[in-house]
Amino acid sequence: MNVALKHTAAEETLLAMGNSAAAIAKLQAIGLPTRRVEAWHYTDLRNLLKTVPAAASAVDAGKVEASFNTYKRLTHATRLPFMNGSYIPALADETPIGVLVSYDEAKSSDPGADDDAIGLINSIAGSNGLSLNIKDGTKFDKPIGLAQLVDDNVYCGTNHSVAIGKDAKISIIERHISADGIAGHANAITNLTVGENSEVLWAIVQEHGDSATHLGQLNITLAQNAKLTVLALNCGGKLVRQEINVDSNGEGAHLEILGVNLVGDGSHIDVTTRLSHNVPHTTANETFRNVVTGNGKGVFQGQIKVAQPAQKTDAQMACNTLLLSDDADFSAKPELEIFADDVICAHGATVTDIDEDHLFYLRARGIPETDARALLVKAFVDEIFDDLEDETFKDALVGLINEWLDNNG
Amino acid sequence: MPAVQETIDAVREIDVDKYKYGFSTDIESDMAPKGLNEDIIRFISAKKDEPEWMLEWRLEAYQRWLTMDEPNWARVNYPKIDFQDIYYYAAPKNFEDGPKSLDEVDPELLKTYEKLGIPLREQEVLAGVRRMDEPSPMDEDGADNVYASGRVAVDAVFDSVSVVTTFKAELAKSGVIFCPISEAIREHPELVKKYLASVVPVSDNYYATLNSAVFTDGSFVYVPEGVRCPMELSTYFRINEQNTGQFERTLIIAEKGSYVSYLEGCTAPQRDENQLHAAVVELVAMEDAEIKYSTVQNWYPGDETGKGGIYNFVTKRGNCQGDNSKISWTQVETGSAITWKYPSCILRGDNSRGEFYSIAVSNGAQQVDSGTKMLHLGKNTSSRIISKGISAGKSQNTYRGQVSAHRKASNARNFTQCDSLLIGDQCGAHTVPYIEAKNSSAQFEHEATTSKISDDQLFYCLARGIPEEEAIALIVNGFVKEVIQELPMEFAVEAQKLIGISLEGSVG
Repeated sequence: MNVALKHTAAEETLLAMGNSAAAIAKLQAIGLPTRRVEAWHYTDLRNLLKTVPAAASAVDAGKVEASFNTYKRLTHATRLPFMNGSYIPALADETPIGVLVSYDEAKSSDPGADDDAIGLINSIAGSNGLSLNIKDGTKFDKPIGLAQLVDDNVYCGTNHSVAIGKDAKISIIERHISADGIAGHANAITNLTVGENSEVLWAIVQEHGDSATHLGQLNITLAQNAKLTVLALNCGGKLVRQEINVDSNGEGAHLEILGVNLVGDGSHIDVTTRLSHNVPHTTANETFRNVVTGNGKGVFQGQIKVAQPAQKTDAQMACNTLLLSDDADFSAKPELEIFADDVICAHGATVTDIDEDHLFYLRARGIPETDARALLVKAFVDEIFDDLEDETFKDALVGLINEWLDNNG
Repeated sequence: MPAVQETIDAVREIDVDKYKYGFSTDIESDMAPKGLNEDIIRFISAKKDEPEWMLEWRLEAYQRWLTMDEPNWARVNYPKIDFQDIYYYAAPKNFEDGPKSLDEVDPELLKTYEKLGIPLREQEVLAGVRRMDEPSPMDEDGADNVYASGRVAVDAVFDSVSVVTTFKAELAKSGVIFCPISEAIREHPELVKKYLASVVPVSDNYYATLNSAVFTDGSFVYVPEGVRCPMELSTYFRINEQNTGQFERTLIIAEKGSYVSYLEGCTAPQRDENQLHAAVVELVAMEDAEIKYSTVQNWYPGDETGKGGIYNFVTKRGNCQGDNSKISWTQVETGSAITWKYPSCILRGDNSRGEFYSIAVSNGAQQVDSGTKMLHLGKNTSSRIISKGISAGKSQNTYRGQVSAHRKASNARNFTQCDSLLIGDQCGAHTVPYIEAKNSSAQFEHEATTSKISDDQLFYCLARGIPEEEAIALIVNGFVKEVIQELPMEFAVEAQKLIGISLEGSVG
């Protein structure tokens, strides 16, 4: 465990921001996590998080629209925009019937478990958040887009709760954007519950600029026969940690996690997932593809936990990584923690360079080496989103990937 | 699944009585008082007739140890160890002078060996060791009448002092030094000084530091340049005196182009208080050298609540220092209440290779947290990890391994496979691999699976008239085959037996 508070600049700022007595007491007791905290083994937050900027002051309404307009919309989603951590109802699209939206400022949240530094920061530095209520039986094709823009060197805390009722079918896209050079700090927590028989797609598209800090956490509870697909695309940010915590609490629940992490020069991207299978007959399938270039540092920690009653669990996890530079660095910790005997659990992890045989195949067909490499890298990551139903969204994601590869390849 | 309900019940039944090797021998012991302080260390050092530099080295380690905290990251739970409530030195009294042949050995001790059966008394393996009522051929010149093949030189460790060293003469002929480490400290100080703690530094971890301060005995092997060690070397650890922590220190050095295979096996008598075992094993392989280190561990696992079992905190590490060197660890872990053990390889030399083959069987309330570290530092280094965990009863079995490639370790290659088999719904199997690549030409593959014996496999066997118990035995044996194959022949036999005993009732 932590050796207690070290009074780093970031810790001091957080204490000064202190919104909740419980959180202050906790930070004072344990400080920010270091490598010694198992959950943060490869992301030494105490040393990596140099400063925490001040929270944003009131948003300049005149500037907002212009700022949003500099970014292309990803898809035809119903937009619920946030700027610097505040909801901008003026720019929000009308939500369809069946979706209830309410907004709370200065939400208070619990500091969470000892190794939950994201929850602790969210609690101590404060957050605003939406409550989204999706009624039973609501079905529509048009996604809902939570567009979260960071436009200044400010701290933006968000804490959303999304409750999806029974028999619903919906897609929600959580997008995080900022421009290069903006040293903002986004702390984004979402608590999602998926009701019985619902079919949900949740996408996290993180395309921050090269100076941003992004600490994201998605906490999910699945009810009986719920089907959830989580897409995660990380293609930006300086210090990024995305946690995905899933509790499969209903029999027949199925979870699919598909992720692509593009780690460029100067970037540290950590994806940590924790899948807890608590009841019998649940399934999960998790696949991550990572590309690391320059002196980027990628981290994948995936834990599959099967509780004693959760017989007949089928959980698979794969993490494949391409290291494209000798200065690049990738660490993986795929964990299995199994207390039930009648289960099928497996994980696989690979770290390699581009396969020489594949390269040879293409070169033998007259494709120049650089093109062949690019093609192989593209194929390696694009494949992840192949089965996505929403073609426009898929194209948008592939577009983001290609743009990143062109800039970093 | 109803088909294995019987198995589960049978496994649950296993308790203290089933521990075949649970007995303790009444031999007068020469003991240091309980507890640990500088005087005890001086006592041990004096008993061992050690030179001044060794004592200083121990005292320095002790001072370091006092500043350290017990590690708590492993997935094991046990009551706090009172390090002042342990005897740090116990030597069978009758052997102070060091007998030269089995004739001089206390018959009680031999009886103990006899009860152990394997491998000390297994005739084929241990040519030369007869029943106690027969004349012993283990004198200096007795080496002539051993069988031509399957010879094993045994350095038997009874509690803390090596009492019998066999085949010494023959080994000496080829220039191999194989002796207790206390003797090596006296007679080969230059080698010991050079290599001791070169692989596992004094302050490496809590238990290694403790070991450095209080180690009482262990084996020392030195294989000179170009020599292929003419026989398998073996040591037999056995904790006997109640409440005695056994602190073994083993150091194996294989010079350029040499080869040595070392076997280590252990069983311990049953008792009520937890015993602490904190050993350190260091291997050094020079250019083109190869070391093969095999372990069969069957210490007392405690009763069904884990009470009374051995605490096994071991630091084993090999250094592939020279180019083209190779170190291979093979282990079969069936005993101990708590196992905390990570035989590792530092792949420093170019083209060096590290291997780790492991079977860890846990039953009852046993807790195993074991695995390996493969640290790739040199170019074109490769490593292979095959780990098979079988958990039954209420046991917890964890694989914890690290594979890392240093920035300069171009073309590092690793393949890791860890499979877990669960028998019964009260046990746990966990896998915690750490994969760290800092070089783009590194190629790491890791796969892990967890499953139980599938209904299909069982059905296949049953449909062919194989009884269920036998079928399970067959499937489990198939599951661990890849590792068993890596063991030297004579140990493979024992290993299979041990797995059988450990899972008694389920795999017969």
